[in-house]
Amino acid sequence: MSTVQIGPFVAATVSVFKDMLDTDIVKGQPEAEGDSFVSRGFTVLVGLTGGWEGWFLLDMSQETACTFAGAMTGEDYESVENEEVLYAGAEIANIISGNAITVVNNAQPGLNIRLAPPSVFAGQGMSMFNARLSSSSVLMQSNAGPVKINVAAREGK
Amino acid sequence: MDVKYVNPFIVGMQNIFNMLNMTSIQRTGLAKREKLKTDNEVNIIIGLVGDLKGNVVISLPDSTARNIASTMMGGMPVPELDMMPKSALCELTNMVAGSSMSQLEQMGVAVNITPPMLINGRNMMTMISQVETLVISFNCNEGKLEMNIATE
Repeated sequence: MSTVQIGPFVAATVSVFKDMLDTDIVKGQPEAEGDSFVSRGFTVLVGLTGGWEGWFLLDMSQETACTFAGAMTGEDYESVENEEVLYAGAEIANIISGNAITVVNNAQPGLNIRLAPPSVFAGQGMSMFNARLSSSSVLMQSNAGPVKINVAAREGK
Repeated sequence: MDVKYVNPFIVGMQNIFNMLNMTSIQRTGLAKREKLKTDNEVNIIIGLVGDLKGNVVISLPDSTARNIASTMMGGMPVPELDMMPKSALCELTNMVAGSSMSQLEQMGVAVNITPPMLINGRNMMTMISQVETLVISFNCNEGKLEMNIATE
Protein backbone atom coordinates (compact mmCIF):
# COMPACT_ATOMS: atom_id res chain seq x y z
CA MET A 1 0.00 0.00 0.00
CA SER A 2 2.55 2.61 1.08
CA THR A 3 4.89 2.35 -1.93
CA VAL A 4 1.88 2.72 -4.24
CA GLN A 5 0.86 5.87 -2.36
CA ILE A 6 4.18 7.63 -2.63
CA GLY A 7 4.53 7.28 -6.45
CA PRO A 8 2.42 10.32 -7.43
CA PHE A 9 4.20 12.45 -4.80
CA VAL A 10 7.61 11.50 -6.23
CA ALA A 11 6.52 12.48 -9.75
CA ALA A 12 5.03 15.76 -8.47
CA THR A 13 8.18 16.61 -6.48
CA VAL A 14 10.43 16.12 -9.51
CA SER A 15 8.23 18.26 -11.78
CA VAL A 16 7.62 21.05 -9.22
CA PHE A 17 11.34 21.40 -8.47
CA LYS A 18 12.03 21.49 -12.20
CA ASP A 19 9.29 24.00 -13.09
CA MET A 20 9.36 26.25 -10.05
CA LEU A 21 12.98 26.18 -8.96
CA ASP A 22 14.72 25.05 -12.14
CA THR A 23 16.37 22.29 -10.13
CA ASP A 24 16.95 18.76 -11.37
CA ILE A 25 16.26 16.10 -8.81
CA VAL A 26 17.65 12.58 -8.86
CA LYS A 27 15.13 10.29 -7.24
CA GLY A 28 15.90 7.16 -5.23
CA GLN A 29 13.85 4.08 -4.47
CA PRO A 30 10.87 3.95 -2.10
CA GLU A 31 11.66 2.42 1.26
CA ALA A 32 9.51 1.55 4.26
CA GLU A 33 9.93 4.00 7.13
CA GLY A 34 8.24 2.52 10.22
CA ASP A 35 6.65 4.70 12.89
CA SER A 36 9.38 7.33 13.33
CA PHE A 37 10.70 9.64 10.65
CA VAL A 38 13.99 11.38 11.47
CA SER A 39 14.14 14.93 10.15
CA ARG A 40 17.14 16.70 8.63
CA GLY A 41 16.09 19.92 10.39
CA PHE A 42 13.32 21.42 8.27
CA THR A 43 10.04 19.62 7.59
CA VAL A 44 6.79 20.71 5.98
CA LEU A 45 3.72 18.64 6.87
CA VAL A 46 0.54 18.50 4.79
CA GLY A 47 -2.43 16.58 6.20
CA LEU A 48 -4.55 14.27 4.02
CA THR A 49 -8.19 13.34 4.65
CA GLY A 50 -10.84 11.51 2.66
CA GLY A 51 -9.83 8.35 0.76
CA TRP A 52 -6.34 8.51 2.28
CA GLU A 53 -5.87 9.73 5.83
CA GLY A 54 -2.41 10.74 6.94
CA TRP A 55 0.45 13.07 6.15
CA PHE A 56 2.77 14.11 3.36
CA LEU A 57 6.18 15.26 4.62
CA LEU A 58 8.77 17.24 2.70
CA ASP A 59 12.06 17.17 4.56
CA MET A 60 15.47 18.79 4.03
CA SER A 61 18.25 20.51 5.96
CA GLN A 62 17.80 24.13 7.07
CA GLU A 63 20.56 25.21 4.67
CA THR A 64 18.79 23.50 1.75
CA ALA A 65 15.52 25.20 2.74
CA CYS A 66 17.26 28.60 2.73
CA THR A 67 18.73 27.91 -0.73
CA PHE A 68 15.34 26.96 -2.20
CA ALA A 69 13.63 29.95 -0.58
CA GLY A 70 16.33 32.16 -2.10
CA ALA A 71 15.73 30.60 -5.52
CA MET A 72 12.04 31.52 -5.21
CA THR A 73 12.38 35.11 -4.01
CA GLY A 74 15.82 36.11 -5.31
CA GLU A 75 17.02 37.06 -1.84
CA ASP A 76 19.70 35.56 0.39
CA TYR A 77 18.59 33.85 3.56
CA GLU A 78 21.01 32.83 6.29
CA SER A 79 18.70 31.08 8.70
CA VAL A 80 15.22 29.66 9.00
CA GLU A 81 14.47 32.32 11.61
CA ASN A 82 13.46 34.42 8.65
CA GLU A 83 9.81 33.52 8.25
CA GLU A 84 9.96 33.88 4.47
CA VAL A 85 11.95 30.63 4.41
CA LEU A 86 9.10 28.91 6.22
CA TYR A 87 6.52 30.41 3.85
CA ALA A 88 8.54 29.29 0.83
CA GLY A 89 8.86 25.73 2.16
CA ALA A 90 5.13 25.62 2.90
CA GLU A 91 4.33 26.81 -0.60
CA ILE A 92 6.55 24.20 -2.29
CA ALA A 93 4.99 21.35 -0.27
CA ASN A 94 1.50 22.72 -0.90
CA ILE A 95 2.01 22.71 -4.66
CA ILE A 96 3.62 19.24 -4.69
CA SER A 97 0.86 17.67 -2.62
CA GLY A 98 -1.83 19.52 -4.60
CA ASN A 99 -0.43 18.18 -7.90
CA ALA A 100 -0.06 14.66 -6.51
CA ILE A 101 -3.56 14.31 -5.12
CA THR A 102 -5.09 15.78 -8.28
CA VAL A 103 -3.47 12.92 -10.23
CA VAL A 104 -4.67 10.34 -7.69
CA ASN A 105 -8.20 11.73 -7.45
CA ASN A 106 -8.52 11.85 -11.26
CA ALA A 107 -7.29 8.26 -11.61
CA GLN A 108 -9.56 7.00 -8.85
CA PRO A 109 -12.82 8.98 -8.86
CA GLY A 110 -14.63 8.68 -5.55
CA LEU A 111 -11.42 8.59 -3.52
CA ASN A 112 -11.81 12.31 -2.90
CA ILE A 113 -8.59 13.02 -0.99
CA ARG A 114 -8.45 16.52 0.46
CA LEU A 115 -5.53 18.51 1.88
CA ALA A 116 -5.10 20.47 5.08
CA PRO A 117 -2.98 23.65 4.87
CA PRO A 118 0.78 23.06 5.21
CA SER A 119 2.60 23.59 8.50
CA VAL A 120 6.33 23.92 8.96
CA PHE A 121 8.58 22.64 11.73
CA ALA A 122 12.27 23.48 11.99
CA GLY A 123 14.60 22.49 14.81
CA GLN A 124 17.33 20.18 16.02
CA GLY A 125 17.06 16.45 16.59
CA MET A 126 13.48 16.40 15.31
CA SER A 127 11.57 13.22 14.69
CA MET A 128 7.99 12.65 13.58
CA PHE A 129 6.04 9.83 15.12
CA ASN A 130 2.87 8.40 13.60
CA ALA A 131 0.51 5.96 15.25
CA ARG A 132 -0.42 2.97 13.08
CA LEU A 133 0.08 4.53 9.66
CA SER A 134 1.79 2.86 6.75
CA SER A 135 4.82 5.03 6.02
CA SER A 136 7.34 5.09 3.19
CA SER A 137 10.00 7.53 2.00
CA VAL A 138 11.98 8.40 -1.09
CA LEU A 139 15.33 10.13 -0.75
CA MET A 140 16.22 12.51 -3.57
CA GLN A 141 19.32 14.48 -4.43
CA SER A 142 19.35 18.07 -5.62
CA ASN A 143 22.24 20.45 -6.20
CA ALA A 144 21.28 22.21 -2.94
CA GLY A 145 21.42 18.99 -0.90
CA PRO A 146 19.28 15.94 -0.20
CA VAL A 147 15.49 16.22 -0.08
CA LYS A 148 13.36 13.45 1.39
CA ILE A 149 9.65 12.95 1.00
CA ASN A 150 7.51 10.71 3.14
CA VAL A 151 3.90 9.62 2.90
CA ALA A 152 2.37 8.15 6.05
CA ALA A 153 -1.25 7.23 5.46
CA ARG A 154 -4.00 4.68 5.80
CA GLU A 155 -7.12 4.10 3.75
CA GLY A 156 -9.92 6.35 4.93
CA LYS A 157 -13.66 6.08 4.83
CA MET B 1 -10.94 33.03 12.81
CA ASP B 2 -14.44 33.40 14.15
CA VAL B 3 -14.48 33.59 17.95
CA LYS B 4 -17.48 31.28 18.21
CA TYR B 5 -15.33 28.40 16.95
CA VAL B 6 -12.83 28.75 19.81
CA ASN B 7 -15.03 27.48 22.61
CA PRO B 8 -15.59 23.99 21.12
CA PHE B 9 -11.82 23.44 21.26
CA ILE B 10 -11.58 24.53 24.90
CA VAL B 11 -14.57 22.35 25.83
CA GLY B 12 -13.11 19.40 23.89
CA MET B 13 -9.82 19.69 25.75
CA GLN B 14 -11.51 19.92 29.15
CA ASN B 15 -13.91 17.04 28.41
CA ILE B 16 -11.14 14.61 27.51
CA PHE B 17 -8.81 15.64 30.33
CA ASN B 18 -11.64 15.23 32.83
CA MET B 19 -12.52 11.86 31.35
CA LEU B 20 -8.90 10.71 31.71
CA ASN B 21 -8.87 11.72 35.38
CA MET B 22 -6.80 14.87 34.88
CA THR B 23 -9.51 17.02 36.42
CA SER B 24 -7.12 19.78 37.53
CA ILE B 25 -7.04 21.18 33.98
CA GLN B 26 -7.73 24.90 33.80
CA ARG B 27 -7.56 27.41 31.02
CA THR B 28 -5.02 30.08 31.92
CA GLY B 29 -4.86 32.26 28.85
CA LEU B 30 -5.92 33.04 25.33
CA ALA B 31 -3.70 35.02 23.01
CA LYS B 32 -2.63 35.56 19.45
CA ARG B 33 0.62 33.82 18.60
CA GLU B 34 3.30 36.39 17.86
CA LYS B 35 6.50 34.43 17.47
CA LEU B 36 7.53 31.32 15.58
CA LYS B 37 9.93 30.00 18.23
CA THR B 38 8.60 27.54 20.75
CA ASP B 39 10.18 26.26 23.97
CA ASN B 40 8.00 23.17 23.91
CA GLU B 41 9.78 20.02 22.82
CA VAL B 42 6.65 17.99 22.02
CA ASN B 43 4.07 19.02 19.43
CA ILE B 44 1.18 16.89 18.26
CA ILE B 45 -0.55 18.07 15.11
CA ILE B 46 -3.94 17.28 13.61
CA GLY B 47 -5.16 18.71 10.31
CA LEU B 48 -8.72 19.97 9.76
CA VAL B 49 -10.50 19.81 6.42
CA GLY B 50 -14.09 20.76 5.70
CA ASP B 51 -16.11 23.78 6.83
CA LEU B 52 -13.04 24.74 8.86
CA LYS B 53 -9.65 24.26 7.19
CA GLY B 54 -6.46 24.44 9.21
CA ASN B 55 -4.35 22.74 11.82
CA VAL B 56 -4.51 22.21 15.56
CA VAL B 57 -1.33 21.59 17.54
CA ILE B 58 -1.11 20.55 21.16
CA SER B 59 2.26 21.81 22.29
CA LEU B 60 3.87 20.86 25.59
CA PRO B 61 7.23 20.63 27.36
CA ASP B 62 8.84 17.21 27.63
CA SER B 63 8.08 17.05 31.38
CA THR B 64 4.34 17.68 30.92
CA ALA B 65 4.27 15.15 28.07
CA ARG B 66 5.82 12.45 30.27
CA ASN B 67 3.55 13.27 33.23
CA ILE B 68 0.40 13.14 31.09
CA ALA B 69 1.48 9.85 29.48
CA SER B 70 2.17 8.47 32.94
CA THR B 71 -1.30 9.44 34.20
CA MET B 72 -2.88 7.93 31.09
CA MET B 73 -0.99 4.68 31.67
CA GLY B 74 -2.22 4.30 35.23
CA GLY B 75 0.66 6.05 36.98
CA MET B 76 3.40 3.96 35.40
CA PRO B 77 6.68 5.97 35.53
CA VAL B 78 7.69 7.44 32.16
CA PRO B 79 11.40 8.35 32.37
CA GLU B 80 11.72 8.72 28.62
CA LEU B 81 9.36 9.61 25.80
CA ASP B 82 9.55 6.39 23.79
CA MET B 83 6.99 4.64 21.61
CA MET B 84 4.33 3.87 24.24
CA PRO B 85 4.01 7.37 25.72
CA LYS B 86 4.15 8.87 22.21
CA SER B 87 1.23 6.64 21.16
CA ALA B 88 -0.66 7.66 24.28
CA LEU B 89 -0.17 11.38 23.50
CA CYS B 90 -1.26 10.87 19.88
CA GLU B 91 -4.37 9.12 21.12
CA LEU B 92 -5.05 11.94 23.60
CA THR B 93 -4.83 14.53 20.81
CA ASN B 94 -7.07 12.42 18.59
CA MET B 95 -9.68 12.25 21.37
CA VAL B 96 -9.47 16.00 22.05
CA ALA B 97 -9.88 16.76 18.34
CA GLY B 98 -12.72 14.25 18.05
CA SER B 99 -14.54 15.77 21.00
CA SER B 100 -14.00 19.30 19.66
CA MET B 101 -15.33 18.26 16.25
CA SER B 102 -18.50 16.82 17.74
CA GLN B 103 -19.04 20.14 19.59
CA LEU B 104 -18.60 21.93 16.27
CA GLU B 105 -20.98 19.55 14.55
CA GLN B 106 -23.70 20.58 16.99
CA MET B 107 -23.19 24.11 15.67
CA GLY B 108 -23.68 22.82 12.12
CA VAL B 109 -19.98 22.92 11.23
CA ALA B 110 -18.77 19.67 9.61
CA VAL B 111 -15.02 19.02 9.80
CA ASN B 112 -12.88 15.98 8.96
CA ILE B 113 -9.66 15.41 10.86
CA THR B 114 -6.39 13.75 9.85
CA PRO B 115 -4.66 11.20 12.07
CA PRO B 116 -2.32 12.80 14.64
CA MET B 117 1.43 13.13 14.15
CA LEU B 118 3.84 13.82 17.02
CA ILE B 119 6.90 15.96 16.37
CA ASN B 120 9.60 16.28 18.98
CA GLY B 121 12.90 18.13 18.87
CA ARG B 122 14.89 21.01 20.34
CA ASN B 123 15.07 24.76 19.59
CA MET B 124 12.04 24.48 17.40
CA MET B 125 10.36 27.02 15.19
CA THR B 126 6.85 26.14 14.13
CA MET B 127 4.54 27.72 11.62
CA ILE B 128 1.20 26.01 11.92
CA SER B 129 -0.47 27.87 9.11
CA GLN B 130 0.14 31.06 7.18
CA VAL B 131 -2.85 32.63 8.87
CA GLU B 132 -3.23 34.01 12.38
CA THR B 133 -2.67 31.43 15.09
CA LEU B 134 -4.51 31.40 18.38
CA VAL B 135 -2.85 30.05 21.53
CA ILE B 136 -4.97 28.71 24.38
CA SER B 137 -2.86 27.97 27.46
CA PHE B 138 -3.82 25.38 30.02
CA ASN B 139 -2.43 24.31 33.35
CA CYS B 140 -2.95 21.04 35.19
CA ASN B 141 -1.21 18.98 37.87
CA GLU B 142 0.82 17.33 35.11
CA GLY B 143 2.22 20.71 34.04
CA LYS B 144 1.65 23.45 31.51
CA LEU B 145 0.49 22.90 27.96
CA GLU B 146 -1.01 24.90 25.14
CA MET B 147 -3.26 24.41 22.18
CA ASN B 148 -2.47 26.26 18.97
CA ILE B 149 -5.32 26.71 16.51
CA ALA B 150 -4.94 28.10 13.00
CA THR B 151 -7.93 28.04 10.68
CA GLU B 152 -8.35 29.74 7.34
